[in-house]
Amino acid sequence: MSHKESQNIEQATTTVTTSQPDDKTRRYDRQLRIWAASGQAALESSRVLVLSSSATSTSILKNLVLPGIGHFSILDATVTTPADAGNNFFLHARESIGKPRAQEAVPLLRELNESVQGEAVFKDVKELLGTEQGRDWLTGFSIVIAHNLDKPTLEELSTLLWSNPNGPPLVAVRSAGFLAEFHIQYHEHCVSQTHSDTAPSLRITRPFPALLEWARSLDLQDMDPTNHGHIPFVVILVKLVDEWRQSHDGNLPKTAAEKKEFKSKILALKIKPDEENFDEAEAQAWRVWSEPAVPSDVQALFALPPLPSTSNAHTPEKHATFHALLDTLAEFTKDPSGPGTLPLSATLPDMKSDTESYVRLQNLYRQWAEVEKNKFKELFKAKHPQLADSANPEEVDTFVKNSHHLRVLRGKQWGAFDKDREAVANSLMMAPRETATHLGLSALTNLLSSDASKVTEDALRSEVQSIVGEGVDLPEELDAAIGEIARAPTADLPNMAAFLGGLVAQEAIKMITEQYVPLNGYCVVDLVDSWTGVIG
Amino acid sequence: MSGRSRHARAILGEELYGRLSETKVLLVGAGGIGCELLKNIVLTGFGHITLLDLDTIDLSNLNRQFLFRKKDIKQSKAMVAAKTASAFNPNVKITPIHANIKEPQFDVEWFRGYDIVLNALDNLDARRHVNKMCMAANVPLVESGTAGYLGQVQPILKDRAECFDCVPKPTPKTFPVCTIRSTPSQPIHCIVWAKSYLMPQLFGEDEDSGSELDEAEKQGENAKEIAALRKEAQAFKAVRAALRSAPAEEASSSSAAKLVFNKVFHGDILNLLSMADMWRSRAPPVPLDFDAIRAGTFVLNRPSQNGNTASTASGQANSSNGSTSTEKALNGNGASTSTAATPAAGGAGLKDQRALSLQDNLELFVSSTERLAARLRAGEDTISFDKDDDDTLDFVTAAANLRSAAYGIPGKSRWEVKEMAGNIIPAIATTNAIIAGLIVLQAFHLLRRSYSSLRNVHVQFKPSMPLSAIAMCPPNPACGVCRDTYTEILCDPARVTLKQVVDGVLGRGADTDMDSNEGEGPEEVCVYEDKRVLSDPDWDDNDNRTLESLNVTRGKFLSIVDEDGEYATIQVAIGALPPDHPADGSALILPSPLPKPPRRQKPRVATPSPPPPPTTTSKKRAAPDDEIEEIDAPSAKRARKDEDAPNVAASFTPSKKRRLEEDGLIMLDTAEEKIEEDPDVIEID
Repeated sequence: MSHKESQNIEQATTTVTTSQPDDKTRRYDRQLRIWAASGQAALESSRVLVLSSSATSTSILKNLVLPGIGHFSILDATVTTPADAGNNFFLHARESIGKPRAQEAVPLLRELNESVQGEAVFKDVKELLGTEQGRDWLTGFSIVIAHNLDKPTLEELSTLLWSNPNGPPLVAVRSAGFLAEFHIQYHEHCVSQTHSDTAPSLRITRPFPALLEWARSLDLQDMDPTNHGHIPFVVILVKLVDEWRQSHDGNLPKTAAEKKEFKSKILALKIKPDEENFDEAEAQAWRVWSEPAVPSDVQALFALPPLPSTSNAHTPEKHATFHALLDTLAEFTKDPSGPGTLPLSATLPDMKSDTESYVRLQNLYRQWAEVEKNKFKELFKAKHPQLADSANPEEVDTFVKNSHHLRVLRGKQWGAFDKDREAVANSLMMAPRETATHLGLSALTNLLSSDASKVTEDALRSEVQSIVGEGVDLPEELDAAIGEIARAPTADLPNMAAFLGGLVAQEAIKMITEQYVPLNGYCVVDLVDSWTGVIG
Repeated sequence: MSGRSRHARAILGEELYGRLSETKVLLVGAGGIGCELLKNIVLTGFGHITLLDLDTIDLSNLNRQFLFRKKDIKQSKAMVAAKTASAFNPNVKITPIHANIKEPQFDVEWFRGYDIVLNALDNLDARRHVNKMCMAANVPLVESGTAGYLGQVQPILKDRAECFDCVPKPTPKTFPVCTIRSTPSQPIHCIVWAKSYLMPQLFGEDEDSGSELDEAEKQGENAKEIAALRKEAQAFKAVRAALRSAPAEEASSSSAAKLVFNKVFHGDILNLLSMADMWRSRAPPVPLDFDAIRAGTFVLNRPSQNGNTASTASGQANSSNGSTSTEKALNGNGASTSTAATPAAGGAGLKDQRALSLQDNLELFVSSTERLAARLRAGEDTISFDKDDDDTLDFVTAAANLRSAAYGIPGKSRWEVKEMAGNIIPAIATTNAIIAGLIVLQAFHLLRRSYSSLRNVHVQFKPSMPLSAIAMCPPNPACGVCRDTYTEILCDPARVTLKQVVDGVLGRGADTDMDSNEGEGPEEVCVYEDKRVLSDPDWDDNDNRTLESLNVTRGKFLSIVDEDGEYATIQVAIGALPPDHPADGSALILPSPLPKPPRRQKPRVATPSPPPPPTTTSKKRAAPDDEIEEIDAPSAKRARKDEDAPNVAASFTPSKKRRLEEDGLIMLDTAEEKIEEDPDVIEID
């Protein structure tokens, strides 16, 4: 059956065969398994602005067009040179030369995915920054990405976008030969779907009623031997914790001796030596002594200060719901009628058990997670009635489901790090290689603003010295970095462009989908030695 | 043209840049990584590129394999990619080949024609094959792989760094035969049954399993069970015939599907129930009733204490993630894959993510069986499972869910079955772009011979450190691939005997006494082709048979293993006689000089155990712990290597990492982590 026919077959047959996905789902199948339909929807409604249509810029765009962003604009006032045509896959090898670069690149990029819209804007960003209308246009995107922009322009652009708390994040990319870096500028980035690998608490020491009831109802001495070997470890631990508390004034095992004793109690319950569920319970006993009511990472978010007023910013409107939910979550953990913990997660890990017991346990967790979620929602409504009415119910569900893994990132304006001499000095000590490369690239940006022919090793070194301040020792690592920069200050190698295109687009997707944790600061890349690092 | 290459010359330097146009590259794979890589090497200026891929383009490739468009679907990946990419650099010669890299014409001689090989493969079997060929031909190789946001690049150079097989790769999951055939307890068991047992039985080759059963009987297996299996096999004959015959009349169009249904979900289950012993300590399955399900009156009355496993006819497609690590690995239900794909997050959701009721599954079973039967009648000989073939995916989904229902196991949506049965690895353009960029860099290091710059590079899941680069490890002295001594013979396999080859390679000329080779080289040897024993010191039956009659032909290897374990194994690649070789000339051209296998270093561990005896893959029900192999399972590596090499696979790994590992890549958690702690590390210059 050909793929073109699948639609027709779908329409022509009964409801059963409509379980087959549509063309869009099929096209995006492999990525939907990473960020799901909600991530895809966010991508499809995004509008991306890219400054320049260099090989790096078009590589970044390629990786955003393929997964299906909604719309892109390329702002570029240059015409295609032979060097451009030789290293940029999204220009025609001959015909593009001498024509506006962005205009040549847009149709080739759009060919990658017919559902993505795109436009070329043949203007200079400096011109747009100079008018009210231009500034409005620049701030009207979901994300702005700039490659190798000169320093005064980048400063002006970053200041414009930073001044508006609801404005788009700015990704500033700089590359020279085998060295590169990029910085993502945002005031705040909130993530509920971090896709963290750490497992949420199973609440073994704070069991919910139905779980405790099951554990207490088990008569381990007098039960069917097959069933005995299939009791999930969670239930075994809940039962033993309950018994331990009754004989220890309500306390958990604390000392090393007590912990050892607790573990030996688990193994003593075996009726056959090959009962793996009891071995697993012993191996998982650590959960009993380190099960915080609220993970410290999340506890820290409850105490998060408001954004500093000096940044001329308040909480962006788009994060208002997230912060209201966070506030509700703090309240939930303190509520005397609640569990004193984060809402129960319905996710269970893999464990030794039979299908029947596992499904029973899974259902208990699922049902109680639902109970606590409803309680959370009531609290939300009581504390934030307006937002609770307007909030997307799915957003609330997602937040509760992921409440063990929430993250709030606070960012800095582009360039702020270089002005903070103390921070730069610290960074030079902690991460000399990364910091030296960053400073070399900063120096390059400064020098290129005047005259490209002035980019010599000596000029770069003195520029770096003026950034860090006179008298500050420069690390050896700087020599290699400025050597490479001086060798090829403006070369855009297809290979580096491809690599950066992947890396930058990946972070842009994380920002747009608000899934996974994007990096924070300057990501420095050295492909001579194949390393990356994050500083600032 | 000087303008075009300005960037590349500035960065690579004139010397390397000039050499690139003469460089011959073999790129194996034109998929996610392959497309990115082809673009990079075309733009960088590699002059001669051979691109090989056996696959055709599918719609689900288009979110990342950017050299393809919708109009190219169903066409050869290699051909289309070559055509699209060559437009970008008129100076590059791209030779596309639509073929499997394991075909005999791609022999050692052919590999030797390349300066470097770049792997962009998606399966373990092909990766190992290319690795071995590169070891034999002594050609540098860059190996790579991605899974979602994770990826890895590994440069490989014989004798200087670890080869792909120096670190053992985890073997694919297997399940006991009886778990699959009679006592499933998790969704994955039912999916494997539908995909690897039922599909081949109904739509695969008509294999006569009688002889296997005879053999099993001779070996004294349970006669009652063998009788039951014979009966089952006979009944399959009838339904196979029904599927291949034209439908009698309109009204009974579902008769063949119903026949299949009644056999596997009713008759076979009744048959199993008759063995009362099996159900003493576990809940028995329930036979399904075709008409009652269709009429909506079927009620599953399972004697389940908790009543919530399968008590109603409505499906519970998303109710369970199962409960063993095996399934977890296959299902990949770690935080970042299936969790992301649950319908809850998707709002309107995706059509094939919805739960299927028992009735839905029955109708899907009927419609997919009919579609597959129609294809058989239209001339297809056999149909096997393919995740991108909707008919087979529907069939496996429906059959697995029906079986699950009978056994009280939660069902799965089509979306989930696709991932579990198809071993789907999530994939996006970004990671492939990153990896492809890194591959070219490692290729530069190899071509420049700046071996100290080589790195194993990982793209990892850490916002503070997206890449980790690890210095190269020396070869594992116990590696069963790269520590062997490679040589090549040119011969006509129809005219040369095993003994002629072995004696020739070992320098035991016909006129020379066996002991006259001055004590150099092994005395008593075993000879293998892959895992087949062809001769050993006490067994010479095959000595005078021709290579062809032993199925040792072009592109294959004869392994000559020293019985005493003192000398390294000699791997003899079989090549074709040169085209200008006279027809009446010698049928065998020996290498000159003859290979001199080094004495093995004093083994760190005990003497290597010999390779295991030859095994045949048999589906017969043997001992209770006999295992059925997953359909795509590559063959296990020879035991001696698995035992000697450090066991890195034992520790727990998150699911995506596991996926990558199953595909043959070892993921380390940090750059500091070393694969082995070897005191006598050899510095690479």
